Amino acid sequence: MTSLLAWTPFLQPAPEVDSWWWLLIIPTAVGIALAYTSIRSRTVAAIPREALVMTLQIIAAVVGIAIGLYLLVMVLLPMLPAE
Amino acid sequence: MNFRPIGALLGWLFPGLGHIAAGNTRRGLYAMAGVMLLFVSGLLVGGLDCVDRTEDSLWFIGQAGSGPIAFAASFANDALLKSGSVGEMITMPAPPNAPKVFANTYKGLAHANEFGTLLVFLAGLLNVCVLLDAAVREPKSDGTTSGRRTGDPRVKPEGMP
Repeated sequence: MTSLLAWTPFLQPAPEVDSWWWLLIIPTAVGIALAYTSIRSRTVAAIPREALVMTLQIIAAVVGIAIGLYLLVMVLLPMLPAE
Repeated sequence: MNFRPIGALLGWLFPGLGHIAAGNTRRGLYAMAGVMLLFVSGLLVGGLDCVDRTEDSLWFIGQAGSGPIAFAASFANDALLKSGSVGEMITMPAPPNAPKVFANTYKGLAHANEFGTLLVFLAGLLNVCVLLDAAVREPKSDGTTSGRRTGDPRVKPEGMP
Protein backbone atom coordinates (compact mmCIF):
# COMPACT_ATOMS: atom_id res chain seq x y z
CA MET A 1 0.00 0.00 0.00
CA THR A 2 2.85 2.35 0.84
CA SER A 3 4.45 1.75 -2.53
CA LEU A 4 1.12 2.48 -4.23
CA LEU A 5 0.89 5.87 -2.52
CA ALA A 6 4.39 6.75 -3.72
CA TRP A 7 3.71 5.63 -7.30
CA THR A 8 3.80 8.21 -10.11
CA PRO A 9 1.60 6.73 -12.86
CA PHE A 10 3.07 6.65 -16.38
CA LEU A 11 6.52 7.67 -15.15
CA GLN A 12 7.26 4.76 -12.86
CA PRO A 13 6.37 1.11 -13.41
CA ALA A 14 3.34 -0.02 -11.42
CA PRO A 15 4.32 -1.20 -7.93
CA GLU A 16 4.65 -4.87 -7.01
CA VAL A 17 3.65 -6.11 -10.46
CA ASP A 18 5.45 -9.38 -9.75
CA SER A 19 2.70 -10.37 -7.32
CA TRP A 20 -0.30 -9.65 -9.57
CA TRP A 21 1.06 -9.79 -13.14
CA TRP A 22 -1.22 -12.70 -14.04
CA LEU A 23 -4.26 -10.40 -13.68
CA LEU A 24 -3.00 -8.45 -16.71
CA ILE A 25 -4.60 -11.13 -18.89
CA ILE A 26 -7.89 -9.26 -18.29
CA PRO A 27 -7.03 -5.86 -19.88
CA THR A 28 -5.01 -7.70 -22.52
CA ALA A 29 -7.95 -9.90 -23.50
CA VAL A 30 -10.46 -7.02 -23.39
CA GLY A 31 -8.24 -4.78 -25.54
CA ILE A 32 -7.51 -7.45 -28.13
CA ALA A 33 -11.16 -8.50 -28.31
CA LEU A 34 -12.47 -4.93 -28.64
CA ALA A 35 -10.01 -3.96 -31.38
CA TYR A 36 -10.45 -7.23 -33.26
CA THR A 37 -14.24 -7.40 -33.17
CA SER A 38 -14.54 -3.72 -34.09
CA ILE A 39 -13.16 -4.59 -37.54
CA ARG A 40 -14.51 -8.13 -37.89
CA SER A 41 -18.13 -7.84 -36.73
CA ARG A 42 -20.71 -7.71 -39.53
CA THR A 43 -22.77 -5.13 -37.65
CA VAL A 44 -21.76 -2.47 -35.16
CA ALA A 45 -24.52 -3.48 -32.76
CA ALA A 46 -22.93 -6.92 -32.36
CA ILE A 47 -19.49 -5.60 -31.37
CA PRO A 48 -20.00 -5.40 -27.56
CA ARG A 49 -21.47 -8.90 -27.32
CA GLU A 50 -18.86 -10.43 -29.63
CA ALA A 51 -16.07 -8.63 -27.75
CA LEU A 52 -17.36 -10.02 -24.45
CA VAL A 53 -17.53 -13.55 -25.86
CA MET A 54 -14.03 -13.27 -27.33
CA THR A 55 -12.67 -11.90 -24.03
CA LEU A 56 -14.07 -14.89 -22.15
CA GLN A 57 -12.72 -17.26 -24.81
CA ILE A 58 -9.20 -15.83 -24.53
CA ILE A 59 -9.24 -15.98 -20.73
CA ALA A 60 -10.67 -19.52 -20.75
CA ALA A 61 -8.02 -20.64 -23.26
CA VAL A 62 -5.18 -19.16 -21.20
CA VAL A 63 -6.54 -20.70 -17.98
CA GLY A 64 -6.87 -24.04 -19.80
CA ILE A 65 -3.27 -23.87 -21.02
CA ALA A 66 -2.12 -22.97 -17.50
CA ILE A 67 -3.96 -25.98 -16.02
CA GLY A 68 -2.57 -28.26 -18.73
CA LEU A 69 1.00 -27.08 -18.16
CA TYR A 70 0.57 -27.41 -14.38
CA LEU A 71 -0.58 -31.00 -14.77
CA LEU A 72 2.28 -31.74 -17.17
CA VAL A 73 4.99 -30.30 -14.94
CA MET A 74 3.67 -31.15 -11.48
CA VAL A 75 1.90 -34.48 -12.11
CA LEU A 76 2.99 -36.18 -15.33
CA LEU A 77 6.71 -35.39 -15.41
CA PRO A 78 7.35 -36.49 -11.77
CA MET A 79 5.79 -39.86 -12.69
CA LEU A 80 8.52 -40.54 -15.25
CA PRO A 81 11.32 -42.86 -14.10
CA ALA A 82 14.40 -41.07 -12.84
CA GLU A 83 16.64 -42.72 -15.43
CA MET B 1 -11.76 -3.16 -53.53
CA ASN B 2 -11.11 0.56 -53.09
CA PHE B 3 -8.00 1.30 -51.08
CA ARG B 4 -8.09 4.76 -49.50
CA PRO B 5 -4.63 5.68 -48.19
CA ILE B 6 -6.05 8.69 -46.34
CA GLY B 7 -8.08 6.30 -44.17
CA ALA B 8 -4.93 4.37 -43.27
CA LEU B 9 -3.00 7.58 -42.61
CA LEU B 10 -5.70 8.96 -40.31
CA GLY B 11 -5.90 5.59 -38.55
CA TRP B 12 -2.17 5.76 -37.91
CA LEU B 13 -2.32 9.37 -36.68
CA PHE B 14 -4.74 8.26 -33.96
CA PRO B 15 -6.33 4.84 -33.47
CA GLY B 16 -9.87 4.73 -34.88
CA LEU B 17 -9.64 8.11 -36.60
CA GLY B 18 -9.69 6.53 -40.07
CA HIS B 19 -13.08 4.95 -39.39
CA ILE B 20 -14.47 8.08 -37.75
CA ALA B 21 -13.40 10.29 -40.67
CA ALA B 22 -15.13 7.88 -43.08
CA GLY B 23 -18.39 8.14 -41.16
CA ASN B 24 -18.04 4.81 -39.36
CA THR B 25 -18.02 6.60 -36.03
CA ARG B 26 -19.17 3.86 -33.67
CA ARG B 27 -16.87 1.26 -35.20
CA GLY B 28 -13.99 3.73 -34.93
CA LEU B 29 -14.76 4.46 -31.29
CA TYR B 30 -14.79 0.74 -30.44
CA ALA B 31 -11.45 0.27 -32.24
CA MET B 32 -10.05 3.34 -30.46
CA ALA B 33 -11.20 1.98 -27.09
CA GLY B 34 -9.53 -1.38 -27.69
CA VAL B 35 -6.20 -0.01 -28.92
CA MET B 36 -6.02 2.76 -26.32
CA LEU B 37 -6.91 0.34 -23.50
CA LEU B 38 -3.86 -1.74 -24.45
CA PHE B 39 -1.62 1.31 -24.92
CA VAL B 40 -2.58 3.06 -21.67
CA SER B 41 -2.47 -0.22 -19.71
CA GLY B 42 1.05 -0.80 -21.02
CA LEU B 43 2.22 2.65 -19.96
CA LEU B 44 0.56 2.28 -16.55
CA VAL B 45 2.15 -1.10 -15.89
CA GLY B 46 5.59 -0.52 -17.38
CA GLY B 47 5.94 3.25 -17.12
CA LEU B 48 7.46 5.36 -19.87
CA ASP B 49 10.47 3.05 -19.99
CA CYS B 50 8.47 0.38 -21.83
CA VAL B 51 8.49 2.47 -25.03
CA ASP B 52 12.11 2.92 -26.03
CA ARG B 53 13.07 3.26 -29.69
CA THR B 54 16.82 3.02 -29.02
CA GLU B 55 17.18 0.25 -26.42
CA ASP B 56 14.16 -1.82 -27.51
CA SER B 57 14.21 -1.01 -31.21
CA LEU B 58 12.72 -4.33 -32.37
CA TRP B 59 9.77 -3.96 -29.98
CA PHE B 60 9.39 -0.35 -31.07
CA ILE B 61 8.85 -1.42 -34.69
CA GLY B 62 5.58 -3.00 -33.58
CA GLN B 63 4.78 -0.30 -31.04
CA ALA B 64 5.12 2.37 -33.73
CA GLY B 65 1.93 0.99 -35.29
CA SER B 66 0.06 2.98 -32.64
CA GLY B 67 1.20 6.15 -34.39
CA PRO B 68 2.50 9.43 -32.98
CA ILE B 69 1.49 8.50 -29.42
CA ALA B 70 4.18 5.79 -29.44
CA PHE B 71 6.80 8.26 -30.70
CA ALA B 72 5.65 10.80 -28.10
CA ALA B 73 6.05 8.20 -25.34
CA SER B 74 9.54 7.34 -26.60
CA PHE B 75 10.55 10.99 -26.76
CA ALA B 76 9.16 11.51 -23.25
CA ASN B 77 11.23 8.52 -22.12
CA ASP B 78 14.35 10.18 -23.55
CA ALA B 79 13.50 13.63 -22.21
CA LEU B 80 12.41 12.65 -18.72
CA LEU B 81 13.89 9.30 -17.70
CA LYS B 82 17.12 8.98 -19.66
CA SER B 83 18.11 12.58 -19.07
CA GLY B 84 17.49 12.22 -15.33
CA SER B 85 14.91 15.03 -15.25
CA VAL B 86 12.79 12.83 -13.02
CA GLY B 87 13.93 10.04 -10.75
CA GLU B 88 17.58 9.54 -9.95
CA MET B 89 20.43 8.35 -12.16
CA ILE B 90 22.43 5.54 -10.59
CA THR B 91 25.57 3.76 -11.75
CA MET B 92 25.02 0.23 -12.99
CA PRO B 93 27.43 -2.56 -12.05
CA ALA B 94 30.07 -2.99 -14.73
CA PRO B 95 33.36 -4.88 -15.20
CA PRO B 96 36.56 -3.10 -14.19
CA ASN B 97 37.82 -0.57 -16.75
CA ALA B 98 34.47 -0.63 -18.56
CA PRO B 99 32.78 2.69 -19.20
CA LYS B 100 30.25 3.71 -16.55
CA VAL B 101 26.63 2.98 -17.38
CA PHE B 102 23.86 5.02 -15.75
CA ALA B 103 20.22 4.05 -15.38
CA ASN B 104 17.21 5.85 -13.97
CA THR B 105 15.65 4.53 -10.78
CA TYR B 106 12.30 4.71 -12.61
CA LYS B 107 13.45 2.10 -15.12
CA GLY B 108 11.09 -0.87 -15.33
CA LEU B 109 12.34 -4.34 -14.45
CA ALA B 110 11.08 -7.90 -14.73
CA HIS B 111 7.31 -8.39 -15.16
CA ALA B 112 6.52 -4.67 -15.13
CA ASN B 113 8.78 -3.99 -18.10
CA GLU B 114 7.87 -7.19 -19.94
CA PHE B 115 4.12 -6.71 -19.73
CA GLY B 116 4.25 -2.97 -20.33
CA THR B 117 6.31 -3.51 -23.47
CA LEU B 118 4.05 -6.34 -24.62
CA LEU B 119 0.80 -4.42 -24.08
CA VAL B 120 2.03 -1.38 -26.05
CA PHE B 121 3.36 -3.73 -28.74
CA LEU B 122 -0.05 -5.42 -29.02
CA ALA B 123 -1.68 -1.99 -29.30
CA GLY B 124 0.59 -1.18 -32.24
CA LEU B 125 -0.02 -4.46 -34.05
CA LEU B 126 -3.80 -4.26 -33.61
CA ASN B 127 -3.83 -0.65 -34.78
CA VAL B 128 -2.13 -1.75 -38.01
CA CYS B 129 -5.07 -4.13 -38.56
CA VAL B 130 -7.52 -1.34 -37.68
CA LEU B 131 -5.95 1.22 -40.01
CA LEU B 132 -5.85 -1.28 -42.91
CA ASP B 133 -9.54 -1.95 -42.30
CA ALA B 134 -10.21 1.80 -42.33
CA ALA B 135 -8.52 2.01 -45.72
CA VAL B 136 -10.75 -0.57 -47.38
CA ARG B 137 -14.06 -0.35 -45.49
CA GLU B 138 -17.06 1.21 -47.20
CA PRO B 139 -17.63 4.75 -45.82
CA LYS B 140 -20.74 5.34 -43.73
CA SER B 141 -21.44 1.62 -43.35
CA ASP B 142 -22.12 1.81 -39.60
CA GLY B 143 -25.89 1.56 -40.02
CA THR B 144 -28.16 -1.43 -40.18
CA THR B 145 -27.03 -2.32 -43.72
CA SER B 146 -23.38 -2.46 -42.75
CA GLY B 147 -21.48 -5.50 -43.93
CA ARG B 148 -17.80 -6.19 -44.14
CA ARG B 149 -15.60 -4.40 -46.59
CA THR B 150 -15.69 -2.91 -50.02
CA GLY B 151 -15.80 -5.75 -52.53
CA ASP B 152 -17.26 -8.24 -50.08
CA PRO B 153 -20.05 -10.01 -52.01
CA ARG B 154 -22.15 -10.12 -48.84
CA VAL B 155 -22.29 -6.32 -48.76
CA LYS B 156 -25.24 -4.85 -50.62
CA PRO B 157 -24.50 -1.36 -51.92
CA GLU B 158 -27.14 1.23 -51.16
CA GLY B 159 -30.00 1.30 -53.64
CA MET B 160 -29.60 -2.33 -54.68
CA PRO B 161 -32.48 -4.71 -54.00
